[in-house]
Amino acid sequence: MRKSLIIIGIAVAVLALAGTEPKQKEFTAMQKRWWAFQPISKPAVPAVKNQAWVRNDIDAFILAKLEAKGITPNAPADKITLLRRASLDLTGLPPTPDEVQAFLADDSKDAWLKVVDRLLSSQRYGERWARHWLDLARYSDSEGFKADETRPNIWRYRDYVIRSFNADKPYDRFVKEQIAGDELYPGDPQALVATGFSRHFPDESNARNIMQRRQELLQDVTDVVGVTFMGLTMGCAKCHDHKFDPILQKDYYRLQAFFANTRIEDSAALVSTEQKQAYQQKRTVWEEQTKTIRAEIAKLVEPARKQFYKDGYDKFPPEIQAALDIPADQRTPFQWHMYYKAKPQVEITDEAAAKKLKGEPLKQYKALNAQLAKFDSIKPADLPIAQTMIDNESEAPKTHVLSVANYAVPQYEVEPGFLSILDPAPAAITKPAAGNGSGRRSALANWLADPNNPLSTRVMVNRVWHYHFGRGIVGTPSDFGVMGERPSQPELLDYLTTNFTANGWSVKKLHRMILLSATYQQSSNYNEAAAKVDPDNKLFWHFQRRRLEGETVRDSILQVSGALNTKMYGPGIFPPLPPGVITRGGWNTEKDTSESNRRSVYVFVRRNTRYPMFESFDMPDTHESCARRNNTVSAGQALELMNNELVLGWAKDLAKRVQNDAGMSPASQVERAWKLVYARAPQADETKAALDFLQQHDQITGNRQTSMIDLCHMLLNSNEFLHMN
Amino acid sequence: MLNKMKHQWQARSRREFFTQAGSGLAGLAFSSMLAEAAPKSADPMEARQPHHKPMAKSVIWLFMEGGPSHVDLFDPKPTLDKLDGKPMPDSFGRPITAMGTANNTIMRSKRQWKQHGQSGLWVSDWYPHIAQHADKLAVIRSCKADGLNHVGSVCQMNTGDILAGRPSLGAWTTYGLGSANRNLPTFVVLLDDREVIGGPKNWSSGFLPATYQGTQFRTGDTPILHLSNPKGVSKEQQRSKLNFLKEINERWSADKQEDTDLDARVRAYELAYQMQAAGPEAVDLTRESEATKKLYALEDPDLHAFGRNCLLARRLVERGVRFVELYCGSGSGWDAHNNIEGNHSKWCRVSDRPIAGLLTDLQSRGLLDDTLVVWGGEFGRTPFNEKGDGRDHNPWGFTIWMAGAGVKAGQAIGTTDEIGLRAVDSPYHVHDIHATILHTLGLNHERTTYMHNGRAERPTLTDGKLIKELFA
Repeated sequence: MRKSLIIIGIAVAVLALAGTEPKQKEFTAMQKRWWAFQPISKPAVPAVKNQAWVRNDIDAFILAKLEAKGITPNAPADKITLLRRASLDLTGLPPTPDEVQAFLADDSKDAWLKVVDRLLSSQRYGERWARHWLDLARYSDSEGFKADETRPNIWRYRDYVIRSFNADKPYDRFVKEQIAGDELYPGDPQALVATGFSRHFPDESNARNIMQRRQELLQDVTDVVGVTFMGLTMGCAKCHDHKFDPILQKDYYRLQAFFANTRIEDSAALVSTEQKQAYQQKRTVWEEQTKTIRAEIAKLVEPARKQFYKDGYDKFPPEIQAALDIPADQRTPFQWHMYYKAKPQVEITDEAAAKKLKGEPLKQYKALNAQLAKFDSIKPADLPIAQTMIDNESEAPKTHVLSVANYAVPQYEVEPGFLSILDPAPAAITKPAAGNGSGRRSALANWLADPNNPLSTRVMVNRVWHYHFGRGIVGTPSDFGVMGERPSQPELLDYLTTNFTANGWSVKKLHRMILLSATYQQSSNYNEAAAKVDPDNKLFWHFQRRRLEGETVRDSILQVSGALNTKMYGPGIFPPLPPGVITRGGWNTEKDTSESNRRSVYVFVRRNTRYPMFESFDMPDTHESCARRNNTVSAGQALELMNNELVLGWAKDLAKRVQNDAGMSPASQVERAWKLVYARAPQADETKAALDFLQQHDQITGNRQTSMIDLCHMLLNSNEFLHMN
Repeated sequence: MLNKMKHQWQARSRREFFTQAGSGLAGLAFSSMLAEAAPKSADPMEARQPHHKPMAKSVIWLFMEGGPSHVDLFDPKPTLDKLDGKPMPDSFGRPITAMGTANNTIMRSKRQWKQHGQSGLWVSDWYPHIAQHADKLAVIRSCKADGLNHVGSVCQMNTGDILAGRPSLGAWTTYGLGSANRNLPTFVVLLDDREVIGGPKNWSSGFLPATYQGTQFRTGDTPILHLSNPKGVSKEQQRSKLNFLKEINERWSADKQEDTDLDARVRAYELAYQMQAAGPEAVDLTRESEATKKLYALEDPDLHAFGRNCLLARRLVERGVRFVELYCGSGSGWDAHNNIEGNHSKWCRVSDRPIAGLLTDLQSRGLLDDTLVVWGGEFGRTPFNEKGDGRDHNPWGFTIWMAGAGVKAGQAIGTTDEIGLRAVDSPYHVHDIHATILHTLGLNHERTTYMHNGRAERPTLTDGKLIKELFA
């Protein structure tokens, strides 16, 4: 990237000089044998000694390894712990006291199965698991860079992900829609929304050097597709052949070439063809009738619009100016892309241009606008639109391998293709019958969604495992390469992967199998002997206790305090920010508390300013894909939960709820508080400690109401509440 | 074998350090980074051994945001007088600029220039007080960066990359060295009045754990988010609540002693409680003498905000804060596309006395010996004019200076071409500046690594060399 700006002037000249492909080095035998590139096997379920512990095939694979190491797995956790674990894991919310009661009372053999199915069919499930996917997709509601402007319709992608998980959309379809929904499923609005996956790059609305910007966007999507779907750090190969994995530099650009013809389409209408036609008919009528008025308005704002065009145009380098100037029928494919990127910097709407008017022209404008408004009754309502990535109308610009990823120093041309080690030939591309699409992304989507793809299949299965257990069978879920970790149970991974694709790529069936295993139901208890052999629990001899994510902390507090509003979908919400936090791009704090008390997945994601509560609990930066969140312990988190007025407010709600439910007796109040917060009754010594605290604390607060709030507040701060056990 | 690679790191020899605190990869990087000190706890902020003997305990980075004009401050160019009003000769190479001004005519500097101190360093009359410290300054005139615009350039000066997402230098420092005072953040950011271009991502921890990110101090007596008790909660009440919390936490942990995370969280609450006292104390200027306040020009309402931040910076490094970044003109204050006389007169006045005062104060307290002070913007400004009386962005050649921490002062390092457009002799890229700053703190930039997406990431990406003249 260095020096690129100096060289930009000669970019065109250099393009003409681009060379031929050098001889590629041979892959070594070791590289060819690398586990992640091998076909998925269907291993036999191993025999184990302790048959009684085994509940399904997962357990046999786990136990075989444990027995080989002489480790005894843990016994199941108690019912309450299990219920709380599964509820937080699948829905991101703790169980209610009624749910606890029902499960404790159910002595039937399939009581656990019923719980798992209930949780999987809850709408809350999609909200929880969408959040994992949004980390991978670097989802953000804003652009980033300096202005960090809102992306007004990108939230539809977030809703799409929630709906997809709730509907148990087959994962192959989920992948295909996100990579090439526009090409593969023309006319399906949800598939169009799905292409937003490639739209989540940070972007700069007033970038001058948009040749470089385009290359940066292509790199973003190449990197993110590499880690998210393939579990490979493709990004390492953008400047040179990958230093460890068998990924050629050429492969990076072959993958990139699938996206070479995509462009932003931010007003993709989400309606059927018929609806679009109906809209257009009405629109034409309105346009006919308002023709004169609109022409007058256009005339009035013309100077401002021209000035805007000139201001923007003058700031562009000559190559971009040329792309704007050239007649449409002569534009090269590359110039088309420059044209679309440049357009928003030189074109404004009449409304925006009118803001520059003053005096008499402004008066005239207002009068004309009033006249125009009289036709509102025949004007069709705006169509719902989505922010998407679609194929450009022209043919695709050429893709070159670039020297040190510098767009201005192309080396030799490449065609779209997969990893050379798997398939050195260019990908077979078929242009779809309908629409503009080149068919490039369809080819990639079909490859990624092929049950025989050794990477994309295993990667998803491993992710699901990772989110359930806190670590994957492969400990580095987005890096199946040499620098990643090796699978601790490769046979299990293949067994589950085979099952996954055979079961119609059903993620819910995979969850179900995992939750029904004895492996999942183990207690988190420590076992010194086992820890000596396997301190990192790579063999899964116990359930790994772990802290809740920031979103789950907030949602859980809202749930137990009774303040949670379960309203789903729609534009991002803006809960209050702590005083002193400023965000460029705006933060229109909700006036209605119940609106701001919706689930965290709906909280607006401002790319440059993460919501402070989530940030302090390790919500990832949305500039890149994140497969595995950090899990830190910090004083900032303590301050957040101790001193944030919002949290104290929820503690007040909780105290009120406790007192309403439990009546006057302090002991019953304590019991109720424990049941709401921890899903269990307090032990005698806990009740005593709580009552002692209340009494002593009364001396300071002077009233029981405040003391009860403080008690509730501390329960919400406690380790037991903040951990999945 | 691995060490021969360009992106180098040590073999993974030690048991993962960070597993208890979360990311196993963090542990990998840590354990390989610290050859000597075997980590004892899961505490991410524990003070750690540097790679070599540090020259600086702390860094104060005076960030003149918007891009101060080097050709009007520290890099005199008589040729500009000769070419004034004429087009720039093609021989200098016409760059693409942010505002498309490269065909505009050359504009001379209107400043009076003088040599100062024993060293005879050139400083213009815009910085009369700083000029008195000329012998303390090492002026690097040959800096260069990659960004054309503010957001990318401010981002790069902080994180090494014009695209957001990487950890800032302060975060790397915190990651590499841990904390020297647990009651205060290790990396503090001070703004004057407006938001920095690009906002908090400039002090982000990027892919490092969030613990390492910079803490933006807010103005007023509670500098840290949520530092004061909620309204109506007394100190005694807070203590009583925390005692109860400790009790229930300890009870729950009784049969989970092996889980150091739980213990770490108990300690985090105690630490937070201590911070509630230490934070306000650190920003309480009432106990500073009138003479000290005068040194920082606090009596002047125009200079007060930045002067206060300079004084705070001294108080913070005094208390063990490792990295203080203070912005002067946050929100592109120095961005003089037109009327550079008015713009720079203002910001030079705002920064001159407070910075001079800071240097004086640090020296008189013996703090300058182990504090590195860095002055600079995200880029410099062009020799040709914009709008007749302003200058455009110049990332191809610009000046920063360093002082303190035993760096060789009283010298000008490197040169730009005759008109100050491009660095020519001994050019130093942002990565070199970063490598150098880390070096003074005892960190080797190539060994300060963190595994991320299969690559041992480091603060300087794939580049970085020391500014060797500073250590001659």
